[in-house]
Amino acid sequence: MENRPLEYDYTVAKMFMLTTVLLGAVGMLIGVILASEMAFPGVNTMLGSLGLNEFTNFSRLRPLHTDSVIFGFTLSGIFATWYYVGQRVLKVSMAESKLLMFLGKMHFWLYILVVAAAVVSLFMGITSSKEYAEFEWPIDIAVVVVWVTWGLGIFGLIGIRRERSLYISIWYYIATFLGIAMLYLFNNMEIPTILATSPAGETGIGAWYHSVSMYSGTNDALVQWWYGHNAVAFGFTVPIVAMIYYFLPKESGQAVYSYKLSLLSFWGLMFVYLWAGGHHLLFSTVPDWMQTMGSVFSVVLILPSWGSAINMLLTMKGEWQQVATSPLIKFMVLASTFYMFSTLEGPIQAIKSVNAIAHFTDWIVGHVHDGTLGWVGFMIMAALFHMAPRVFKRELYSKSLMGTQFWIQTLGVVLYFTSMWIAGITQGMMWRAHDEYGNLAYSFIDTVTALHPYYTIRAVGGLLYLIGFFMFAYNIYKTMTSGRRVEESELQSASPMAA
Amino acid sequence: MFHWLEKHPFFFAVGVFLVIAFAGLVEILPNFAQASQPVVGTKPYTLLEMAGREVYIKNSCNACHSQLIRPFKAETDRYGHYSLSGEYAYDRPFLWGSKRIGPDLHRVGDYRTTDWHENHMKDPAGVVPGSIMPAYTWMFTNLADINTAYADQLTNAQFFNVPYNKPVPMKDGTTLTVPMAKSVAEANAMALEEAKTISADMKDKDVQDMVAAGKIPEIVALIAYLNSLK
Amino acid sequence: MNKLYLAGAGFVAAMLGFTYVAMDIKGGLNGDIVNMLAILGAIALVIVSVFVVTKYVRQMQSDTAGGELAEENWDSIGEYKNPLPMGWAIIFLGLIVWAAWYFLAGYPVNAYSQIGEYNEDSAKVNAKFEEKYKNLSAEELHSMGESVFLVNCAPCHGLAADGMDGKAANLTKRLEAKSVVYVINHGSMNNIAVSTDANGTKTTSAMPDRNGLFNSTTNALITDAEIEKVANYVASGMKGDGADIFASTCSSCHGPDGKGMDGVAPNIANFTTAFVSDMLSHGKKGAIGSMPAFTNLNATQVKAVSTYITDISKGE
Ligand code: HEC
Ligand code: HEC
Ligand code: HEC
Ligand code: HEM
Ligand code: HEM
Ligand SMILES: [Ca+2]
Ligand SMILES: [Ca+2]
Ligand SMILES: [Cu+2]
Repeated sequence: MENRPLEYDYTVAKMFMLTTVLLGAVGMLIGVILASEMAFPGVNTMLGSLGLNEFTNFSRLRPLHTDSVIFGFTLSGIFATWYYVGQRVLKVSMAESKLLMFLGKMHFWLYILVVAAAVVSLFMGITSSKEYAEFEWPIDIAVVVVWVTWGLGIFGLIGIRRERSLYISIWYYIATFLGIAMLYLFNNMEIPTILATSPAGETGIGAWYHSVSMYSGTNDALVQWWYGHNAVAFGFTVPIVAMIYYFLPKESGQAVYSYKLSLLSFWGLMFVYLWAGGHHLLFSTVPDWMQTMGSVFSVVLILPSWGSAINMLLTMKGEWQQVATSPLIKFMVLASTFYMFSTLEGPIQAIKSVNAIAHFTDWIVGHVHDGTLGWVGFMIMAALFHMAPRVFKRELYSKSLMGTQFWIQTLGVVLYFTSMWIAGITQGMMWRAHDEYGNLAYSFIDTVTALHPYYTIRAVGGLLYLIGFFMFAYNIYKTMTSGRRVEESELQSASPMAA
Repeated sequence: MFHWLEKHPFFFAVGVFLVIAFAGLVEILPNFAQASQPVVGTKPYTLLEMAGREVYIKNSCNACHSQLIRPFKAETDRYGHYSLSGEYAYDRPFLWGSKRIGPDLHRVGDYRTTDWHENHMKDPAGVVPGSIMPAYTWMFTNLADINTAYADQLTNAQFFNVPYNKPVPMKDGTTLTVPMAKSVAEANAMALEEAKTISADMKDKDVQDMVAAGKIPEIVALIAYLNSLK
Repeated sequence: MNKLYLAGAGFVAAMLGFTYVAMDIKGGLNGDIVNMLAILGAIALVIVSVFVVTKYVRQMQSDTAGGELAEENWDSIGEYKNPLPMGWAIIFLGLIVWAAWYFLAGYPVNAYSQIGEYNEDSAKVNAKFEEKYKNLSAEELHSMGESVFLVNCAPCHGLAADGMDGKAANLTKRLEAKSVVYVINHGSMNNIAVSTDANGTKTTSAMPDRNGLFNSTTNALITDAEIEKVANYVASGMKGDGADIFASTCSSCHGPDGKGMDGVAPNIANFTTAFVSDMLSHGKKGAIGSMPAFTNLNATQVKAVSTYITDISKGE
C-alpha cells in the first residue's frame, strides 16, 4: 500500500471533544448544585426572588444532572474517541470517504439538536419519569436517528478498513452500538396521548408530546431496569473499556498483556451483563427466581469486569517509571483501579442481604460515583489529554497542572464515596432499627438529619472534582491555543507535555 | 472461531447481538406472559388523581421518594402492608423510584391528610423541622393540566383496556366505578367537582378562590393523587 | 513484608477506623444478620480492592513485561499471547460454583419466597414482644408510648406534642377554644365512642350544631357570646368564666364536670386512654384539620401511646 503515513481526519472528533468538555462542565456543575441542595436545602430557593425556584430545585435539576453527564459528557466522549480511535486502528481515514465525513458531521449536528431539545424539555418538567430514559417520544425518535447515523458511520468505516482483523476496542464500540440500540428501543415503547379520541370525537387532546408507557407496573419496572442496568453496561462500561484498551497501551507504548484474557473478558461481559438487571429490583414485586438470577449473575460479573482491568494493570508490568512520572498514565491506572472497585462493590450490593440495607440509600449513590467519577470521568479525560496533542498538533500545555488536577480529583472521589458509603449504611441500619419494645427506633426525619455531615462532605468532594474538571478544560483550551507546535515524530507513544 | 469472527465484522456483530438479546428474552418474557392483574381494591385513577400524578412526575418527586414497600418488618411497621404486584396494574409508568431521600409514599394516603400536605408542600421544614425537601410554592399558582390527564385516561382505556366506566371489585366486597368524561368540556367540569372536595379541606384562601373561579391549581391535583395512595 | 503491602494495610486500617468512628452505629447491630452482612461486605470491598491492586502495583514496580507477541498490531499497539492469570481463572470457576449454590441451595428457585421469609420473620418478632408486652409497667407503657409517638405522631403534632403552631391539635391539653367553637357551630360526628359494652362494641352518637343547643337558663339557642365564653371555659380545663353556661347547655350530655356520660357524650375535660385509642381507630376531622386513623399499630402500641398522651396532657 502507500508508504506515506495516513493523514487521519479529526474534524468530527474535535467537534465531539468540545461537547465533551462543555457538557461535562455543565453536568458536573449541576451535580455540585444538587449536592449542595441536599446539604443546605436553602440552595433550592436561592433564586427565589427571580421566580426561578421551579427550575432550580433539586427534583427538577436531578434528571438534568444525570442526563447531561450520561448523554452529554459520556456519550460525547464515546463519540469523540470513536472518531479518533476508529480511524487509527482500522487504518483508514475519514477523509477517504465523502459520505462518511458527511455522516460524521450530520451525526454531530443532529446530536446538538437533541441535546438542546433535551435540556429545554427537562427544565420544563417534560419527562417520562424513567431514570436515564426521561425523554418523551419526540426526542426518543430523534435519539434513534442520531444513533442510526452513528451506526452507519461505524460500519461504513469498518467496511473500508485496511486492517483486516478488528482490534479489541472495535469489539467494544460495536457492542456499545448494538446494546444501546436494543435497550433504548424496547424501554421507550410508549403511546402518544394525541392518538386518543374522546367519545365526543375530539382528538389531539392535551400536550402533544405526552405519552403513556406500553408496559404497566411490575412489567414496566422490569423493562426499565433491564434497560437501566444495561445502560450502565453499554454506556459506562463497554465503551470506556474500548477507550482504555486503546489509550493505555498507546500512551505507554506497551503491548496488551494477554489476548486470551481480552477475549474471555469480552465475551464473558457480553454474556453475563444482561442477566444482572434484576439486582435493581430485589425485594420488589418481580418474581423471586428473577431476583435471585439478578444476584447470581451480578457476582459472576466480577470476573469479566476484573479481567479487563487486570489485563490493563498487567500491561503496565515493569513500567512503574511511567506511572510515577506521567500524570496521563496515572489517570488511566487509577481509572482501572476504580473500575475494579466499583465492579466489586456492585456485586456485593447485589447480594440480597446486603441489598436489603443498601437499596434506596446513599451507598448506591456512592457506588454510582466511584464508577462514574473514578472510572468514566478519569478515563474520558485521559483519552482527551492523549488526543489533544495529536488532533491539534500541539504539546499539552501543562504537565504540572495535570498532576495537580489528578490529586485534587482523586481526593474528591475518595471524599465522595467514603461519605456516601457511611451515609448509606448508617441510614439503612437506622431504617431497620427497632427499640426494646419492638417499635421503630427512628422516625424518618431522624435518619435525614443524621446524614447532614456526610452530605456536606460529599458536596466538598464534588466541588473538588469540579474544580479539577475546570483545570482540565483550561489545560485543553491552552493546549489548543498556545501549546508548542509538535511534529508527527514526537507523537509515537508518550504524549508531549510542557512542564 | 473467534479469530475468524474478528475478521468478519458482520458475523461478529450478529454474534454479539445474539448473546445480549438472549438474556433479555429469558429475563423479561416469562413475567410478561403472566401480565400483571389488578388485585381487589385497585382502581383506575380518577381524572384529578391522574392530573396529580402528572404533577408528581413533572417535578420528579420519584427522585426522592419510592413507592415500593419491601417485605421487611421494619418497612411494614413504618409504611404499612408490603406492596403487591397487582396494585400497580394501572401504573403507567411505574413510580417505584430507586432512592429514598424522603420516605416511601406508596401508602401515604393512609396516614397523611389534605391539610397536612398543604402545609408540608408549602414549607416542608415548617412542618418537619430539619426536612431537606424543597418547598413547592409555585404549585399553589400553576394550573394543573386537566386536558392532558384526560388524554392519558383515554389512552389507558382505549389502548390498554383500563376499566373506566366499569365496576371494579373493592376489598369490602362492593364494587366501584370510576367514571370517565365523554368530552373535554365534561372532563374539566368533572375535575372541578373533585377539586372542590379537596380544596374544602384546605386553608389557603387563594387556592379556594381559584377553585371557586373554576381553576385548578397543581397542588389540588397533587393532593388528590397523594390521598389516593393507599 | 513488602513496604507496599504495609502501606496497603495502613490505608485499609485508616479507612475502616475512620468509618467506625464516624458511624456511631445507631441502635447497634441489633443482632440483625442483614446489618452484619452489609458491614462485612463493606469491609471485604476495601480489603480485597486494596490488596489486589497492591499486588499489581508491585508487579509494575518489580516485574518485567514479556511473552510471545501476536503477529498483528493495530496503530502499533501489540498484543502478547500470555496465558490467563491463574488466580483469575480459578476464582472465575469458583464463582460459577458459588452461583449454582446460591441458585439451588441459598435461595432455592422452587422453594424460596420472600413473602414466606417475611412471614416467618414477623412471626418471630411478634412472638418475642408478646412475651414482653404481658407485664409492662406504667412507666414502660409511657416510655414505649413516647417512642411510638415520636415516630408516628410527631410529624404532625410536633416533638413536644404542642401541635406546631396549630398545624395539628395541641395534645398537651385536651381542647383549644377554637376547636370547641367549631364543634358547637358545626356539630360533631366523628364516631367517638360514647360507651363500650362488655363485648367491646362501641356506641357512637352525634353532637347537634348550635341550632340544637339550648341554654336551659335562658331557654334560648346558645349565642355567640356564650359560645365564646363556654369555649374558653372548656379550653382552660373547666375553669373560669362560663361554668354557668356549661352547666345549663352542655352538662346534660357531657356531665357536670365535663367528664362525659356513658352512652351520651364523651369526656371533654381531659384525655383518657379509652378516648385516644378509640380516636386512633377512626381518626377525626375538626377545626384544625384532619387526623388520620392509625390502624397499623398493634394493640399494645395503641395502649402505650394513649397512656403517653393522657400522661403528658396532665402536665407531666
Ligand atoms: C430533595 C428531596 C425531596 C424531593 C425532591 C421531594 N421530597 Fe418529599 N420528602 C423529602 C424528605 C427528606 C422528607 C422527610 C421529611 C419531611 O417529611 O419533610 C419528605 C417527605 C415527604 C412526604 C411525607 C411523607 C411522610 O410519610 O411523612 C410527602 C407526602 C412528600 N415528601 C411528598 C413529596 C412530593 C409530592 C414531592 C414532589 C413534588 C416531593 N415530596 C419531593 C425529600 C424530598
Ligand atoms: C346532645 C348532647 C350534647 C350536648 C348538649 C353537647 N354535646 Fe358536645 N358532644 C356530644 C357528642 C355525642 C359528642 C361526640 C361526637 C362525635 O363523635 O364527634 C360531642 C363532642 C364534643 C366535642 C368534641 C370532642 C373532641 O375531642 O373533638 C366538644 C369540644 C364538645 N362536644 C363540646 C360541647 C360543648 C362546649 C357543649 C355545650 C355548649 C356541648 N358539647 C354540648 C354531645 C353533646
Ligand atoms: C397527618 C397528621 C397527623 C398525624 C400523623 C397524627 N395526628 Fe393526631 N391530629 C391531627 C390533626 C390535624 C388533629 C386535629 C383534628 C381537629 O381539628 O380536631 C389531630 C388530633 C388528635 C387528637 C385529638 C385531639 C382532641 O383534643 O380532639 C389526638 C388524641 C391525636 N391527634 C393523637 C394522635 C396520635 C396518638 C398520633 C400518632 C399515633 C397522631 N395523632 C398522629 C393530625 C395528625
Ligand atoms: C460488576 C459490575 C456491577 C454490578 C454487579 C453492579 C451492581 C449494582 C447494584 C446492585 C446497584 C444497586 C441497585 C439498587 O439497589 O438500587 C447498582 C446501581 C448502580 N450502578 Fe452498578 N454495578 C456494577 C458496576 C457499575 C459500574 C462500573 C457503574 C458505573 C460506572 C455502575 C453504575 C451504577 C449506577 C448508575 C447505579 C444506579 C442505578 C439507579 O439509578 O438506581 N455500576 N449497581
Ligand atoms: C462534580 C461531580 C459530581 C457531583 C457533585 C455529583 C453529584 C450528584 C448528586 C448529588 C446526585 C444525586 C444523588 C441522590 O439523589 O441522592 C447525583 C446522581 C447521579 N450522578 Fe452525579 N455528580 C457528579 C458527577 C457525575 C458524573 C461525572 C457522572 C457520570 C458520568 C454522574 C452520574 C450520576 C448518576 C448516574 C446519578 C444517579 C444515581 C442514582 O440514581 O442512583 N455524576 N450526582
Ligand atoms: Ca421515552
Ligand atoms: Ca437512581
Ligand atoms: Cu445494575
